[in-house]
Amino acid sequence: MNEERDSQLSAMFDGELPSAECELLARRLTRDELLRAQWSRFSMIGAALRAERGVALHDRVAWRVQSMIVQEATYGDGSVDSASTTRTSVIVPASELKAASAARWMRFARPVAGASIAAGVAALSIFWLRTQDDSQMQLAANPVAESIVLEPDTTSALVARNTAPAVEARTSNGEPERYVTPAASSSASIVPPARLANYVVAHSEYSGPLSRRMALLGLVATDPSEAPAMLDEETSQQAGAVDAP
Amino acid sequence: MSQRNGARLAALVLLLGVGVAFGAEPKEWLERMNRALTTRNYVGVFTHVHGGRVETLRIIHRVRGRDVSERLLSLDGSGREFIREGTEVTCYFPDRRTVLVERRAPDGPLLGALPAIDDASTQVYEIRGGERERLLGRTTRVVALHPRDEYRYGYRLWIDEQTSMPLKTQLCNQTGEVIEQIVFSTIDLPERIPDTMFKPQVDASNYRWFRADRQVASTVSPALWEAMRLPPGFRMATRSAQSLPGSSEPVAHLVFTDGIASVSVFVEPRKPDTQPAEGPARVGSSSAFSTVVDGHQITAVGEVPPTTVELIAKQVKASKAAAATEGLGLAPRRK
Repeated sequence: MNEERDSQLSAMFDGELPSAECELLARRLTRDELLRAQWSRFSMIGAALRAERGVALHDRVAWRVQSMIVQEATYGDGSVDSASTTRTSVIVPASELKAASAARWMRFARPVAGASIAAGVAALSIFWLRTQDDSQMQLAANPVAESIVLEPDTTSALVARNTAPAVEARTSNGEPERYVTPAASSSASIVPPARLANYVVAHSEYSGPLSRRMALLGLVATDPSEAPAMLDEETSQQAGAVDAP
Repeated sequence: MSQRNGARLAALVLLLGVGVAFGAEPKEWLERMNRALTTRNYVGVFTHVHGGRVETLRIIHRVRGRDVSERLLSLDGSGREFIREGTEVTCYFPDRRTVLVERRAPDGPLLGALPAIDDASTQVYEIRGGERERLLGRTTRVVALHPRDEYRYGYRLWIDEQTSMPLKTQLCNQTGEVIEQIVFSTIDLPERIPDTMFKPQVDASNYRWFRADRQVASTVSPALWEAMRLPPGFRMATRSAQSLPGSSEPVAHLVFTDGIASVSVFVEPRKPDTQPAEGPARVGSSSAFSTVVDGHQITAVGEVPPTTVELIAKQVKASKAAAATEGLGLAPRRK
């Protein structure tokens, strides 16, 4: 990859590349493996940067990538039934991104979105807001399809730092202006980790909606490095591992 | 009544309804939120902050009658997934090439006996707020659940006024320090969610599978164990016996709740060839504590501070009835 293309990629990641060049580069991404690898490296750098104080990716690119993820979430593998696809939509504002551009981005972003790019967006997405006329909440028995479109959360973009105690500068309503969550304490445990995972899953079934999500996040979102013994060979026998589904 | 009067009456009723909704107390907003989270279809992408890490995840939740399906997957790094479909719960750990499969009772509590906020809850949490606040371009109601003691965590919630979905959630300790945060970047509330969206994104055919295949015999009673003392506000919510991967015998599962937080206690006979597990552990913001009582391994797990699970685990004993029914599988062994 030449230096110029590298620079273009960097500019695109920073949201500074003109729209037309973005489209061109996006097309190139679909057929250039080296370019895609470089994109992945950029996203890894983004991930590394996220561990630093106050680092955030440019919201336009973040928004674009995030919108791709949402589209993928909405439409799945393309076999979504017609009711779902017709009643639910995410509509991109014309001023933000032309439809044609979005479609092209979609083609390149889908395979890329599975990589760790999404982490970099950290609540910076901007979406068009659409709600149905019928604003009364209706439950699943008589649901109404809606898309909630959210603007950037500026506080969440400034989150990650590992070790410092929480900064408690607060606004008038008690909401901290920025968060520095404490580092997770050691997960060292005598309980076999696989067993602990079993317990957490079983426990989550009996938790309230909020705490249930928190419990499951402990399993799904836990950094692999935090639980080196998680489900390792030593615990396999004890936890009843078999080799096939 | 003329057509015009009818229309006026309908408009008045609607306005009153909206007025009641928007003038709701903080506790009512919590109840609305719980109802929305458990009964609505939704697909959302959110960022999760914990322990200095930021991670993006997607959640898919579908309710069809009493059938609840749910999928939670990490969009970054590990690619871990949790999928619940019907009575089967499956966790995929691509980073460990491992899959956990657990089976739940068909009449599980997901739509029924979940912890409910009641008057007892307000004894241990100060529920305040309800003010409007703009967040992420939406009008939200901010509700804070502040713990009155050190046995539970607090929450700050930004609840979407229109849909009652929590757009932002903070888990806080007693001093108000944010220890975990979830912020949605998108939420869709589709009328239907296809089955294809509950398929794992990984091919796990070559992974190691941990599976609970066997259903527990219904004759086994978990009622032989009880907590002698509980932290303020906690009460027994339910008992059950269930199978877990790797257990040849049923595991007693006791659930305690204060209406917001819950703690599960698992009791299973200790295998003679294994070391007893004793001490604390953490999984995300959940705490766990293990101890051994009468030859049984006891582990308490919950989204509460470590001291709470330790206290509860140490208070679990065999009930007096256990002595009379020893031999059913869950009764403590007499030395």
